[in-house]
Amino acid sequence: MKFDIVGKNIIRTDAYSKVTGKALYPQDIYMDNMVYGKTLRSKLPHAYIDIDTSEAEKIEGVIKIFTYKDVPNNSHGVVFKDHEVFCEKKVRRIGDPIAFVVGETEEVCKLALDKIKVDYKELEGVFDPEIAMDENSPKVHGDSNIVYHFKIRKGDIEEGFKNSYVIAENTYKTHMVEHAFLQPEAGVSLIDEEGRVTVMVATQYPHYDREEVASALNIKEEEVRIVNTNIGGAFGGREDISLQIHLALAAYTLKRPVKVVYSREESFIAHAKRHPMIMKCKTGADKDGKLLAMEAEIIGDTGAYASWAPNVLRKAGVHITGPYYIPNVVVDSYAVYTNNPFAGAMRGFGATQVPIAHEQQMDILAEKLGMDPISIRMINIFKQGSVTATGQVLTESVPVEACIKEVVKRMDLFGEEGHNEETW
Amino acid sequence: MKEIQLNVNGKDYSLNIDENMRLIDLLRDKLGLLGTKEGCGEGECGACTVIMDGETVTSCLVMAFQAHGSEILTIEGLESNGKIHPIQQAFIDVGAVQCGFCTPGMIMSAKALLDKNPNPTREEIREGISGNLCRCTGYNKIVDGVELAINYIEEGK
Repeated sequence: MKFDIVGKNIIRTDAYSKVTGKALYPQDIYMDNMVYGKTLRSKLPHAYIDIDTSEAEKIEGVIKIFTYKDVPNNSHGVVFKDHEVFCEKKVRRIGDPIAFVVGETEEVCKLALDKIKVDYKELEGVFDPEIAMDENSPKVHGDSNIVYHFKIRKGDIEEGFKNSYVIAENTYKTHMVEHAFLQPEAGVSLIDEEGRVTVMVATQYPHYDREEVASALNIKEEEVRIVNTNIGGAFGGREDISLQIHLALAAYTLKRPVKVVYSREESFIAHAKRHPMIMKCKTGADKDGKLLAMEAEIIGDTGAYASWAPNVLRKAGVHITGPYYIPNVVVDSYAVYTNNPFAGAMRGFGATQVPIAHEQQMDILAEKLGMDPISIRMINIFKQGSVTATGQVLTESVPVEACIKEVVKRMDLFGEEGHNEETW
Repeated sequence: MKEIQLNVNGKDYSLNIDENMRLIDLLRDKLGLLGTKEGCGEGECGACTVIMDGETVTSCLVMAFQAHGSEILTIEGLESNGKIHPIQQAFIDVGAVQCGFCTPGMIMSAKALLDKNPNPTREEIREGISGNLCRCTGYNKIVDGVELAINYIEEGK
C-alpha cells in the first residue's frame, strides 16, 4: 500500500503562520465595539460569602457586574457538576470565581474589582487529603469528601504475602504540578451574524465547552459556537472550563464583543493542577524475585473540585502495579476533596505519579534479594499475552522487554562481561 | 501623554503614548504587531523578545518611553522581499514549532545571536536561547533549527 502521509516528513500546516507571528491566539483578537472583562476571585480557601457590587457599579465605564444571580444554570464540571459559574454562598478554594466585571477598558475593570465588597465568614478548611477522608473533618461539598473509590481485588492477597520471601512496604508522595502552558487563558465572545453566542478560545474540548456554555445559559447547543483558535500549549490544563461561560454570558447579555486575557498569576490560580498523590505500597516477591503480591492504597488530592479526578485516580489504580505480572493484588484508589487548588488532567492523567512508587518498590525488593535492578524487572515484565491486575489480556505489541534490553545495551550497564540473559 | 519617535521594522513612527505604557503594549495595541507574545509579564519567559538597537529585550519589561529614538525589530520585520528569513524557514523545515507561542521570541533571540556570532556551537545556541522558555519542551528541535539556519544563511538561501 502506498501512503501519502504516513512515513513521510510533512510540514505542519500551521508552521508558517507560527514562525511569522501571524498565528492568532485569543489575546490577538481585537474587534470593533469590544469591551473587557475581569474576574473577581476568592481570597480565602473556605468561607461563606456575601457580595455587594453597588459601589463598583458606580464607576464610570463599568457596564455590568455579573454574579451568580445572572446565571440561569449556575453549575458546570466535566464529570460532576460541582463547579459554580460564580460562587453563590460559599467559596471552596483560593481563586474561586465570585463575579465578572465588564467595562469599557481593562483599567476600569481593575478599579471595579477593588470596589466590590465581599464579606467573608471564614470556615475551617481541610488541606490534608488523609484528614479530609475522616468523616468528622470539614466538608467541601455535601456529606463526604471522598469523591471516588476505585478497587481491584485479584487472587488471594494474604496467601501471596505468606509465600513471599521479601516484602517492601513504603509510602510515597508526589506534589502538585502546574502546567504553565506559555499562552495564558484568553478569549473573545460575541454574537455572530446568525445570532449564535460565539466564544473564541484556546481549548482542548470545544465540544464539551459548547455543552457547558449552552447548559449554563439555558439555551440550545445549536445557539452556541466554540471557535478554537491557535492553542499556546495545554497539557491537560485546558480541559476544564475557565473563562468560556463568563465570556458567553457577558456577550449574550450585552450583545457586544467581550474580551478577557488572564495574567500569568491569574492563570496559575484559575486552572487545575496535577493531582498530588499519597501512595502506600506493600509488595512481596519470592526468593528468585518473582512478584507474588501487591497491596496499594492511593489517595489523590483533587482539591475543591472533582474535574477529572475519577478518571485520573482510576488510571493511577490500574497502573500502580507497573508493567509487571502480579498474581495477587489489592488496590484502593481514592479521590478526595480538600480546600486546596483543584486538580484535574495533566500529561499522563494519573499514570505519571505511580511509577514513583512501583519502580522504587522494585529497586528496594532487588536490593533486599541481592539482585540487580534489571533482572528483577525482566523476570516480571509484561509480555504479549500477559494478564494485568484488572484482567486485561495484552494481545497487542508489548515492547517494554525490548526497550529495557536496549537501555541495558546503550548504557553498557553490565560492562565487558555482559549479562546472562537466560536468567531473564 | 508623551510623544516619542521610534523606528519599528524599518518604519519611522511618531506616537503619543501613556507614560505607563510598556513597549509590548505599544507594539501590539498601538501598531497591531501581534506576533510579539506575552507569556508572563515579568521578563521570565522570553515570549515577548524583540531586538532593540541590536540587543534582545523582553518588551514586557521595557517602558514604551524608553524606546524613544531607538530601532526595534519584531518578528514581522524579518521578511524581506516577500521571503521569510532563513531562521524562520529552518524552524519550519526541522519541525521546531509546536504550540507556537514561544516561537516568535525564540526566533528573535536566534536572530540576535546569529547577527553577533554567525557560526555558534550547539552550546552557544543553547545559551543564546536560554532566556526563552518552551513549555512543549521542544528545545532540541529548536537548536536543530538554529543550526540549520546557519547553513541556510551561508548558502544564501
